[in-house]
Amino acid sequence: MGGVGPRVMSGATRRLAQLGSVGLLVALWEAAVRLGWVDPLFVPAPSAVARALVAIGPEAAGLLGETLGKTLAAYALSVGLGVGLGLIIGTLRHLYDVLNPFLVALYAMPKILALPWILLLFGLGTAPAVVYGTLHGFFPICLLVVGGVRDVDPRLIVVARSMGATAWQVYWKVLLPAALPAVLAGLRLGMIFCLLGVLVVEMFGGIRGMGFLLSAMANAFRAAELFAATALVSLLSVGAVLLLESLNRRLSRWR
Amino acid sequence: MRVLGTRVGLLLLVLGAWELWAGRQDPLLYIPPSKVLPALVRVLRLEAYPTLPEHLWLTLVEVLVAYALAVGVGLGLGFLLGLPRHVGEIYEPILAGLYAIPSVVWYPSLMLFFGLGPASKIAFGFLLGFFPVVLAVLTGIRSVDRQLLTVARALGAGRGTCFVKVILPAMTGTLLAGLRAGLALTVVGVIVGEILGARAGLGYLINYAYGFLRTAEYAALAMVALTLVMAIDGVAALAEGRARRWAG
Repeated sequence: MGGVGPRVMSGATRRLAQLGSVGLLVALWEAAVRLGWVDPLFVPAPSAVARALVAIGPEAAGLLGETLGKTLAAYALSVGLGVGLGLIIGTLRHLYDVLNPFLVALYAMPKILALPWILLLFGLGTAPAVVYGTLHGFFPICLLVVGGVRDVDPRLIVVARSMGATAWQVYWKVLLPAALPAVLAGLRLGMIFCLLGVLVVEMFGGIRGMGFLLSAMANAFRAAELFAATALVSLLSVGAVLLLESLNRRLSRWR
Repeated sequence: MRVLGTRVGLLLLVLGAWELWAGRQDPLLYIPPSKVLPALVRVLRLEAYPTLPEHLWLTLVEVLVAYALAVGVGLGLGFLLGLPRHVGEIYEPILAGLYAIPSVVWYPSLMLFFGLGPASKIAFGFLLGFFPVVLAVLTGIRSVDRQLLTVARALGAGRGTCFVKVILPAMTGTLLAGLRAGLALTVVGVIVGEILGARAGLGYLINYAYGFLRTAEYAALAMVALTLVMAIDGVAALAEGRARRWAG
């Protein structure tokens, strides 16, 4: 009976086993298509997906850039509002008591229900994607920051105050570093949620960007191109998360 | 009590401001609460959409099937990968990495495989619900105290006894949290799927009302959907509480 306790494998062995498993899966997939076990109309072979990736590359690069731009705008808004309001709500008790249930309820609410209304209000351009992406990113960031701030040892603040720190200094030098792990968790989660929101708007509204490309390829039954586009968006997302994680490690050292 | 009063006051203030604002602008676009209420009555009395119960029922069935699949496959795969220790170490990062990809990316492919009908919604709900369950099993197994296992084995417990008496009770908390998160995400997945493209179901109805610019009815239907979501989560909370008490 295993699965318990510290790791039993070295990092290199683990990496090798992971790469081997993924490689094996791709090889099996290719073989399954070549041997005619699956219909290439629905499941194209990895080699066909690679060719499609080259074919849609130039068009997809532009759309990927558009999606990325909207996501970054939504992310900047989510982080700014989420961290800022999170610090304020987390430190002011009365505000927290009144607002927290609303924040939790809005976070838990399926945002998709508001999507038609957002499109109605903001039209079909960049704005609804940014608004909807922000709606997705803001709540997890804000809630995590609020939680992080409330978990900060209140003695730290008392000590800082008694040593003559200004309100600004308390926020910047004590609260933010102490709540940093929660803030960083929020930054990571917020990125994925913002991208999710932007993609949903692009799919639903048929507005340009990768979400639109994905649904257009699905509707046109171009499975190879669809898989290639899916892979591109996935890589973008994983890349963004990895980037944030390396930033994470650096900020943790600053702390 | 004062806090509760402030909360209610704030809510009324927001609704009032919204009503005033919407009255001055286009009420079709800004959907004031005074328009939503009559629409909600029409929807609930089945005057606006006589087939509402059928759509509601379909959505509920999709959720239940998708969740059953997510729990079955999630638990099965979780224990299969988690119990042999090195297998879990290899595949948990891969699963966690896949979880970092925004789920909606997979939806067009599911539409391609399963078409516009309920199957693609079930598949998407399953996909969203599956990850929290399988990851909860993997982290739960990893969090079991090894010494407990050593002691149990020294006392002569076999594999099955170790599993039922030591591993399962020790991971109950993580597992229940994962199962509940999985249900919430399954519901979201089914509704997202229905809104992005369907021929029936609550999400379809919402999209239909929006498409014909019946915005008050759209808002009323969205409230019905929200109630369904909250009802399902309420049942899940009750079940979780009961299971926690049972597990001690």
